[in-house]
Amino acid sequence: MGAKMQTNKTDGKFTVPIGPQHPALKEPAFFSINVDGEIVTNAYVRLGYAHRGIEKAAEDRNWVQTLYLLERICGICSHIHSTAYCLGVEKLAGMEVPPRAQAIRVLVAELERIHSHLLWLGVASHEAGFDTLFMYSWRDRETIMDILEGLTGNRVNYSANLLGGVKYDIDSAQADSIRQGLEFLQERLNYYLGIVTSDALFLKRTRGIGRMTRNQAEVLGAVGPTARASNVARDIRIEAPYSAYEHFHVSIILETNGDLEARFVVRIKEMLESCRLINEILDSLPEGELVMRMKRRINPGETVVRVEAPRGELFYFIKSNGTDKPERIKVRTPTICNMSSVVKLAIGSQLADVPVILAGIDPCFSCNDRSVHIDHRSSKTCRWTWEELRKYGIRYYNGDHS
Amino acid sequence: MEIIRNLFVLLIFPGGLFLLAAGMFYEWVDRKLLSQYQNRIGPRWFQPLADAVKLLANEEVIPEGSNPTLFIVLPVVALAGGITAALYVPMAGFPPAFSFAGDLIVTIYLLSLLTLCMGLAGANTMNRFSLVGATRTLTQLFSYEAPFLLALLGPALAAGSWQISEISAYTTQRWLLFTQPLGFIVALIGLMGKLELPPFDAPEAETEIVAGALTEYSGRGLALFRLGKGVEMVVGLTLIAVFYLGGVSNPLYFLLKTLALLLVVAGLQALLARLRIDQTVGLWWRYGVLLVLVQWLFMIGGRMVL
Repeated sequence: MGAKMQTNKTDGKFTVPIGPQHPALKEPAFFSINVDGEIVTNAYVRLGYAHRGIEKAAEDRNWVQTLYLLERICGICSHIHSTAYCLGVEKLAGMEVPPRAQAIRVLVAELERIHSHLLWLGVASHEAGFDTLFMYSWRDRETIMDILEGLTGNRVNYSANLLGGVKYDIDSAQADSIRQGLEFLQERLNYYLGIVTSDALFLKRTRGIGRMTRNQAEVLGAVGPTARASNVARDIRIEAPYSAYEHFHVSIILETNGDLEARFVVRIKEMLESCRLINEILDSLPEGELVMRMKRRINPGETVVRVEAPRGELFYFIKSNGTDKPERIKVRTPTICNMSSVVKLAIGSQLADVPVILAGIDPCFSCNDRSVHIDHRSSKTCRWTWEELRKYGIRYYNGDHS
Repeated sequence: MEIIRNLFVLLIFPGGLFLLAAGMFYEWVDRKLLSQYQNRIGPRWFQPLADAVKLLANEEVIPEGSNPTLFIVLPVVALAGGITAALYVPMAGFPPAFSFAGDLIVTIYLLSLLTLCMGLAGANTMNRFSLVGATRTLTQLFSYEAPFLLALLGPALAAGSWQISEISAYTTQRWLLFTQPLGFIVALIGLMGKLELPPFDAPEAETEIVAGALTEYSGRGLALFRLGKGVEMVVGLTLIAVFYLGGVSNPLYFLLKTLALLLVVAGLQALLARLRIDQTVGLWWRYGVLLVLVQWLFMIGGRMVL
């Protein structure tokens, strides 16, 4: 953008910039929306503002330190990132994690799913201009935050995972408080399910808006609740059960409409399913050890891990060269898979619906922003060492943008 | 004496100081009620005053590409319109300061001045959010204004006068809420449209277009627009209380009836999700106008039968 504010009047169309700083965005991203009146004629997205070089930083830390680093990729689904990493490293090391630890991992992951979806429910209804639902859902989300704090001592980055197991046990008093909290939540969730499917004014903003057909969802590679709202049966917990999901089965939640209403319904029903699963795990928590001893050096090799994050499929590639540090870690988060659907669905819809359509995929920009350095002038890709990246960062913020 | 009285009327009561204070008080009540409905704590009682003082002290940045004179004058005109409208309305239970035949129409148009000024203010800048906001503000103006006007003319028709003081005298013994319920609903919801309260807050939907038409305003201009909105809320609530809730013959009735209306308005804000601008227009022209016309048909029919 130039220094002088200009209205773009080419062919009578009008460009509305959303971002990098905009009240609709909780994190920086840039959407350039061409509108004709209130109708969107073209949309363009530019990501990367929240890039922090975490993948590169991981190469400079040992296996244990990397666990805590990767947990900070996302401020909402921190546990699922460390779970994916642990699963991969344990696979490389050829270890079997005790069943009790596996169950607790899944339990925390499902608690995290509820807290992530409730957060989304609030944000999405705020984007649609229904602030009362926003306030209520965030108030009820505190129940889950309290449970997580009671279990692990932290509200967001629980660091419940260790390489080879989990850090925290669940005693019967904690189990009872979880059951109590979930009972309250189930009642509230059923109430919200009623609201999002019956509130006439709210339905005007969600029913039939941002509709993605099953075919589109498959072509655009949508994942997670976004895909399941379009009747694409894609859920890693069911397709390729990992950890304790082999013993505790999840039933898939599908909706056929693919519009925003369906995404609300899918996510609320998934929370109810998570509540059921957590209760089931609490009732039959296996006895045994919590953690196994982990080697400092991991056998050389490569592995791929797929887990179901609250937002959809989370993919990890881990490569070890036999030392105490990872050779390469590659993370692909669900937001990047779903982002193309936003641009696609925005075209032809009303400008007022764009923020809700964007919120509909539950975007998490700090998750998806990671980069390869491409020099545009010589158009060659090169790999940087951590030192070079740091030097570039310092140079960049001193005003040298070359 | 005449000059002193006029100055008092303009600067202290009902115009000027009283109206600004009442505007801020009602804004606080509205925000506090809404926060209670939404299970929040809400602002402290002096928050609107603190906001106004802070904004007035801030630097006013006049953006490049806008007409500086218009940029400065529009907020003043908007606030002046609201305050002038109050002179013809029986504020706080006292008879109107000025009155002439047909002042109802003048009052309604003075009340529209705020929206018009906001639309012009948005169109005056080159900011894209402002321009979209201005389009939406003016679109909304054209959708609610006709039903709102017709809804306020209902009581005038019943009283047989277009002079607010005479209508007020007529309604003091009669609660037109019960004889003209449809008109009351349209008038109250029309006021919410006028004040751009949810669900009619599409012109300033922050998740889409930041602050709408007022995006480029900071400091004094923004403070004046906000004060103008508060003033408009008080005057609008008073008008509806006078016309439909059996008049405001003393300050206690004024307070009770306007606050009761505000309770309903805040409840509706909490209950309803934001409408898109095309849905707003559809709502007003499909249902708003229809409701008022049905009301008028009943009134005319009733008059012919009697």
